[in-house]
Amino acid sequence: MKELAELTITSDAPGAKLFMLGNEAIARGAIEAGVQVVAAYPGTPSSEITNTLVSVAKETGMYAEWSVNEKVAMEVAMAASVSGLRAMAAMKHVGVNVAHDPLTTAGYMGARGGLVLVSADDPGQWSSQNEQDNRYIARQCYIPVLEPSSVQEAKDMLVDAFRLSEEFKHIFMLRSVTRLSHARSDVVLGAINKEKREGEFVKDLHSLVCLPAYSRGSRRRMIERFAKIKGAVNDLPYNQLKLNKGAKLGIIACGISYGYTLEAIRYMGLEDKVSLLKIGTPYPLPEEMVRQLLSSVSEVLVVEELEPFVEDQVKIVAEDAGIIIKIHGKDVIPIAGELSTRPVAEAISGLTGAQPPVNFAELDRIREETEPLLPFRPPTLCAGCPHRASLHAINVACRRWKREYGTECVLVSDIGCYALGVFEPLNADDIAVCMGGGFGIATGLAQVIKAPVVGHLGDSTFFHSGIPPMINAVFHQANVTLVILDNSTTGMTGFQPHPGAPAGDEPKIMPEDVARACGVKFVEVVDPFDLTKTVDALERAIRYKGPAVVITRRMCSILEQREKRRQGVAIVPYHVDPEKCDGCGVCINLLGCPAIIKDDDRVTIDSSQCPGCGLCAQVCPHKAIISGVKDGKD
Amino acid sequence: MAKTKELNVIICGVGGQGVVLMSELLGNAAVRDDIEVKGSEVLGMAQRGGSVFSNIRLGSGVYAPLTPEGKCDVLVAVEPSEALRNVHFLAKSSLVVLNSRDVKPFTVFLGKSGYPSLEEILDKLHRVTDRVITLDATQLAQEAGSVQSANVVMLGTLYGTGLMPITVETAKAVLQGRFKGKVGEINIRAFDLGYEEVQKALKGAPVK
Repeated sequence: MKELAELTITSDAPGAKLFMLGNEAIARGAIEAGVQVVAAYPGTPSSEITNTLVSVAKETGMYAEWSVNEKVAMEVAMAASVSGLRAMAAMKHVGVNVAHDPLTTAGYMGARGGLVLVSADDPGQWSSQNEQDNRYIARQCYIPVLEPSSVQEAKDMLVDAFRLSEEFKHIFMLRSVTRLSHARSDVVLGAINKEKREGEFVKDLHSLVCLPAYSRGSRRRMIERFAKIKGAVNDLPYNQLKLNKGAKLGIIACGISYGYTLEAIRYMGLEDKVSLLKIGTPYPLPEEMVRQLLSSVSEVLVVEELEPFVEDQVKIVAEDAGIIIKIHGKDVIPIAGELSTRPVAEAISGLTGAQPPVNFAELDRIREETEPLLPFRPPTLCAGCPHRASLHAINVACRRWKREYGTECVLVSDIGCYALGVFEPLNADDIAVCMGGGFGIATGLAQVIKAPVVGHLGDSTFFHSGIPPMINAVFHQANVTLVILDNSTTGMTGFQPHPGAPAGDEPKIMPEDVARACGVKFVEVVDPFDLTKTVDALERAIRYKGPAVVITRRMCSILEQREKRRQGVAIVPYHVDPEKCDGCGVCINLLGCPAIIKDDDRVTIDSSQCPGCGLCAQVCPHKAIISGVKDGKD
Repeated sequence: MAKTKELNVIICGVGGQGVVLMSELLGNAAVRDDIEVKGSEVLGMAQRGGSVFSNIRLGSGVYAPLTPEGKCDVLVAVEPSEALRNVHFLAKSSLVVLNSRDVKPFTVFLGKSGYPSLEEILDKLHRVTDRVITLDATQLAQEAGSVQSANVVMLGTLYGTGLMPITVETAKAVLQGRFKGKVGEINIRAFDLGYEEVQKALKGAPVK
């Protein structure tokens, strides 16, 4: 048995193996590549990359920051590259939208120190508002894309992305997907580049000042650089062509789809009967390899997740080369959602007649039969989550308004844990689009509808993109209530710091100070666990003419419990007094707290889950919920 | 590296039950024993109290991070209804180890969702495979010293099946590396209780 106990993500132990999450492998790649600057804003499925690097930054001599948003993160990384350092920005797919402005011109500027953007896309929309395919953004920006097919490749490719970026003096993108970022695998480590450079700014107006006079030339130089990269990708080891003599079907598989394709082919015993082209660089495509495949088979299947990005290019290559064969792709491979071995096997089966060894129809039948039995288990706010209290208070204030004036308030939500308030029983979300949209959409609605509009977003989101729409509300005197649910962290993505909740002794920026400085006249800070005061503040805010900001401040329940355990402070749960409780279920029907359990009309509180926030005790009409563990049990 | 036969393990449960930790312990043990390992799970929003599903695929030649449907060898369900949610991964030869202790979602208490009885769950599973072992892992964890260790009991059951290419010694070494002191002792006891429970079931029952 090999002794691996000492091995960590920073070990300089080439050849050794470590079990890693995909995102940890990408972080390891950054360490091996000698990256000196990392900037990111958290977002699933990208967060663990920078979590990992922040945790080892000191040890590795790296500068790693959680930026206020992705645009700033991109700019920080670009600045480092301009200064000669290897720099990386990491974000989720929709985060790249926020960074899109500087990114679109990054290709014009070129790279001095290696510059790589990691985009973590989310096929299947596990944690996102859309399923966009960022390879299109890369193409629009002339950014070459490396797309790994495995965790090992994710690490290796990132190291190579930096090598290529410096060789071609150009920005590169590593495109990951949820199923890769959150895959786990043994990974063989490589050597660590320990070179440390001094950041140095060298004036170069022609490349660095993107005004028309200079930028027109930059665009021409970018196109030239890109042509060179296009010529080089055919030789990259991530693009592999395996031609089988006599094969009628050629399969082109890109990124994570390669694994599914490989297994589907084995599944059906077609290893010697089909030709296979593995694509590691969907942009620019290794066109020479594509031509070789196209001219050796009579039919082609392109396997890729989401959009027909490779497929469309392959069709152009075929057209240009005058090769007339049928090219399949999204006609037989699903365009929405993640792929897996099954849909790939079914597509190949349809084209070749080979049968998969599993009777999928039978599996579907059993699945259909079981479906009605499955409990509905949506993700939910944790027991003791202060957002539950804030959203309940918003509901109460809005119900009171409706009783008095007859109109129903419109609730605008945003991206964060509080978005889970959309589900029963809170139903505290009528519209939600994107980061900062909680305020932006609310401000717009307030200009065109008569009903009161209440927008809410979290503290991290406020600093990310909530400030400009708040200023807009002041600028145009929108009659809107803007609620900042301040839990002193970036909760959903794993507790990253932000300007209002720094990790160290950096100055804290308080949202109420920002709001007042921006000209908001109605600014109140309340504790959401004080339900009466919170509802009162919200009612006054809704009645207020002009923009009103209410900040509901209470630390994230998970963090608070962690903090209490660390300090040895007891966590005191609540219990239900069975003498007083008549099983009315008001607590459950209003709050939906996972710690409140109902068995045969008997309501109890699971003391192992209840952190003692006391919200349920405040809504109980019978005063039957009491602090403390009952008789040491319950 | 010796060639190891492909073994697809799926661990399922609900957020907070320690499913992700189980897959980490499993993967680290595999690497220690020089066995190739791939897998994946879903983290982030989907995790908050929702269903959690983790794949661990052991052996040579595995490439994809997802077990193909109908190709799961061992399904470990830390929550019984979650076994049903993954029924399409099972085949006639699959072994299912199921913690009988349910975690009902709040939607059940709201009257917005039903919850199947254990009999209904077992009935549906038996439509695919006869090899289902049921145990009260939460009770065993309590016996070991902490309800929190139900996931480690279930990890022990996985090794108890005798199908794992990883040695029990390595599994325990990884466990001890992760948990020190009293918690470490509780977890080793929890592991052993799970292991023995499945060994007993396999010896006494017609679970082939």
